[in-house]
Amino acid sequence: MKTEMPLSKPIRLFVSQTENILDTEIALLRNPEADPNGTLVDVYTYNIEKNVILFPAHYTGLLKDFIIARHCVHLLIKGAAAKKSRYLVCSFTGGSVYHGIHQIYIDALKDEAKKEKKLPVTKLIQMLSILYTNFNDDINELPWNPITNARVYHRMPQIRKTQLYYLMKEGKVDMDDMMEYEDIIPRRYFVLNKAMFYARDQYLAKTLPADELMPVINIPQMKKFNHLEVKEMLTTRWTHTSWYQSKVFGDTILEIMEKYLQKIDWNAESSLDYFHEIYQLGVRMTNHFISYMSMKDWFVWEPPKHLQDAQARKTEYVDEALKKIFGDLIEEPSADNTQG
Amino acid sequence: MTVKEAEELIRKGRAYASRTKYKEAIAYYERALALDPDNPSGWYHRAAVFIETGRNTEALADCERAISLNQNYSDAWSKKGHALYNLERYEESVVACTRALALNGNDASAWYIKGVCLDELGRNIEAQEAYGKSLELEIILDMEAEKKKIGR
Repeated sequence: MKTEMPLSKPIRLFVSQTENILDTEIALLRNPEADPNGTLVDVYTYNIEKNVILFPAHYTGLLKDFIIARHCVHLLIKGAAAKKSRYLVCSFTGGSVYHGIHQIYIDALKDEAKKEKKLPVTKLIQMLSILYTNFNDDINELPWNPITNARVYHRMPQIRKTQLYYLMKEGKVDMDDMMEYEDIIPRRYFVLNKAMFYARDQYLAKTLPADELMPVINIPQMKKFNHLEVKEMLTTRWTHTSWYQSKVFGDTILEIMEKYLQKIDWNAESSLDYFHEIYQLGVRMTNHFISYMSMKDWFVWEPPKHLQDAQARKTEYVDEALKKIFGDLIEEPSADNTQG
Repeated sequence: MTVKEAEELIRKGRAYASRTKYKEAIAYYERALALDPDNPSGWYHRAAVFIETGRNTEALADCERAISLNQNYSDAWSKKGHALYNLERYEESVVACTRALALNGNDASAWYIKGVCLDELGRNIEAQEAYGKSLELEIILDMEAEKKKIGR
């Protein structure tokens, strides 16, 4: 580890231990433009010589330590997978993009039929691609979030207060995601997106344990569902809102999450075998999420390089899918559909 | 005039340092110090860049020079604490951070370095207190940064 920045003792030891287990090097870098969640650029995903953890420049103390700890756990999982078997991620192909976009389109048509003010076709096309990409990103990141957080919580008691602040903030930011599109995107996808985050936050609220993390306490739109009788909830207009539906779907996703994560001994000593087992559980849990959300043919498990190549060809895949769906109705689909 | 010129050179040096262009930053600071060696800010900022580039002994010397010019320069005391931490002189670092915090109790970084050093010295209860204070301030800074982002 090469760094001139102060690091608290438990984190310094944890970074060293991670390097030793994986026989690799980790560089820590401050960057004013870094994502608030920090970024892990690792040797198991990219063709680089050493791992880099980037974090915002204004994180000088324990917030920085927490970001480093969480990325170290993720690095251990990736590294263990690469060393013990294969490290795979959810990637996509021309065919899977078509399946995903086509399904979103069908759901959008159903929703649009009920609307008085229809979405212009160009916006609809744009939305198909954005939604698909969004779910690809989420399915690659979200399942690992409760895993890395639970491990950090159990192994780093010194930074629990920091973790709580950070997770409350993260919960709010993630729940705000897609808010501006609520009236545009098909209800089903808005609900599934919120349901995944709801399940994660609910799981972490139980794990830490911290009621403040419960979405019905931390998220303004969900506060009204706290302490309500089932009968009351079923007989009011709330049952028809997307936020209530997010809670219902979220509770099921939480059950799936718990089914897999309860098998993990969070206090076990770190080893390649331990993290490999976690990786395998994470993959099975991800597959279960995908299946529950009826997205089985949307993604394919492939090495990270496959995903990078697929991202480079995304415009082409999207154009092909749109051509198949709309035929000659659209001539130049790529003009607007690449932002996402 | 030289004082103003030196300030301007320091400002340019800081702009380079913020973009991690340390070589250029040091060159500007050195020009500033040649013009006005009694400017504690020049020494302090050069120390900051020395720390970023692993030149901790030189950083310590620059901090001491800055402090000798202004005993109440809290940032210089804090940076001295950082340099001493990197040199694994934890006891002295705690003293420097304590002095920095007496001058400016809202220095999150000084609280954190103090906590780290106390932890290294096995003074865990004191370390936790310092970490707690550091986190409190870091959260305030983080919230301010978020507000700025929203206002942008």
